[in-house]
Amino acid sequence: MTTSTPDDPIIRLVDVHKRFGDLVVLDGVSMGIPRGLTTVLLGPSGTGKSVLIKHIVGLLEPDAGEVWVDDVEMGRASMKQRYAVRRRFGMMFQQGALFDNLTAGENVEFPLRYHRRMGAAERRRIAAEKLALVELPEVYDRPTSALSGGQRKRVSLARAIVLEPDVVLFDEPNSGLDPMTSGTVDALIQRMKEQLGVTFVVITHDIVQAVTVADWIGMLSGGHLVAYGPTETFLQSDHPTVRAFLSRKLPEGT
Amino acid sequence: MTTLLAFVRFCGIVARASLSNPPPVRRIVEEAHGIGVRSLPILLVVSAFVGTNLAVQGYNAFAPLGGERLIGMFVALAGVRELAPVMVAAMVAAKAGTEMASQIAVMRIGEQIDALEVMALSPHWFLVTPRLVGILLVIPALTMISIFTLVLCSYGVAVYQLGLDGNDFIQLAAATTRPVDLLSCAAKSLVFGAIICLVSCFYGFHTRPGPAGVGQATNAAVVVSAVSCAALNYVLSEVLFG
Ligand SMILES: Nc1ncnc2c1ncn2[C@@H]1O[C@H](COP(=O)(O)OP(=O)(O)OP(=O)(O)O)[C@@H](O)[C@H]1O
Ligand SMILES: [Mg+2]
Repeated sequence: MTTSTPDDPIIRLVDVHKRFGDLVVLDGVSMGIPRGLTTVLLGPSGTGKSVLIKHIVGLLEPDAGEVWVDDVEMGRASMKQRYAVRRRFGMMFQQGALFDNLTAGENVEFPLRYHRRMGAAERRRIAAEKLALVELPEVYDRPTSALSGGQRKRVSLARAIVLEPDVVLFDEPNSGLDPMTSGTVDALIQRMKEQLGVTFVVITHDIVQAVTVADWIGMLSGGHLVAYGPTETFLQSDHPTVRAFLSRKLPEGT
Repeated sequence: MTTLLAFVRFCGIVARASLSNPPPVRRIVEEAHGIGVRSLPILLVVSAFVGTNLAVQGYNAFAPLGGERLIGMFVALAGVRELAPVMVAAMVAAKAGTEMASQIAVMRIGEQIDALEVMALSPHWFLVTPRLVGILLVIPALTMISIFTLVLCSYGVAVYQLGLDGNDFIQLAAATTRPVDLLSCAAKSLVFGAIICLVSCFYGFHTRPGPAGVGQATNAAVVVSAVSCAALNYVLSEVLFG
């Protein structure tokens, strides 16, 4: 197994185990997420990538092991500490997780409404700006139920970054998007990383996106992090799962 | 048994979340309004017809004994003290409780509850507190409206259909229902309201995945809350009315 550890991790998973009934999903995963960089998580469907990032924000608790965000261990943290950590996070869920009873714009405004003191006009301005970033300025007043799958994803993305968090977690931001819009998302990630020093954790099946945005790449398979390191190192990995993944997705070779 | 324990834990979390932050006033008003408006029409209709039939059956029971004058007392005892609060609970469980359970279950399955958590908002505070406060504000009023409708309709039947003396009816009904009895009814309804809300939200939060899960959660919510209210009514009546 070839896994490396970054010098300055903002998030650290230490020997995390998680099972649902008889199904072992994470079987001792340790990894450090480098601060201010973009980490991409690859892996076959159903290996536990979504489960892993839910551990980072404390939506799931490990059966054994620890999850650290800077100097807070999420498992032992009080509710208050946990919420304080979460205020630094933005997360886009795989299915969007938009509030159905609100419009697209109200969804994006939602975190502002509860975490920032500002007037309605100001809120609307910021939310509209974020919707423009994901190239959806026109959906502001549309009910969430009237959006397409790809639009829901992008609204959810706008909501995840509206508070300008330190850490952004994206669960498959590109699935269901056309190649051109995917490029927009990649550019957005790059810009936020460079201008605001945001740490990204991105789950994706899109190897083009992975290679475009990643500073670090990890491969989760069979409950283990089978390969993890800086992008160049990862792409050289001779782990069979990594080779299989790369050869299938990149017939030209990398 | 484990469900009961989980329910108690859930109530604890709701209590803590409700007290630790100022309640979201706007959401409370929305919920109270929604619960009241949705439950009121069906409540009026059912209360009216329970009232009419109470008068008719009261008459059937007492007339052979020459006690048809006692209908007012019968309506006050059976209708006001017992039927109205339980009926309101059943209607509110059927209208508002099911809606709470299904809405929250859908939010659970759609990861919207997780999204609230990640946004550092307690989903209990955001979803349960306004519904709880809303239902507590509305349900005593609904109960009083139900009582009024029920008595009015049984009075109508007693006087205009059965040809009884209206003054007798009112005097006996008023003598049997002291103001403190109405307060007891309101107290009962508060207990019922809390149970309906907490049970329904609990089943919503703990739904199984998939559309079938939403159906099950909704069904369990109305059955458990209605049965609990009916059973508790017996206990509460013993305590309140002796
Ligand atoms: N709350 C849960 N209860 C029970 N099983 C769960 C739960 N969450 C996830 N699982 C199971 O854990 C496994 C990993 O799920 P996860 O969603 O993390 O996969 P994934 O790697 O994100 O896959 P995909 O690429 O398809 O999104 C799956 O078999 C899933 O059924
Ligand atoms: Mg997933």
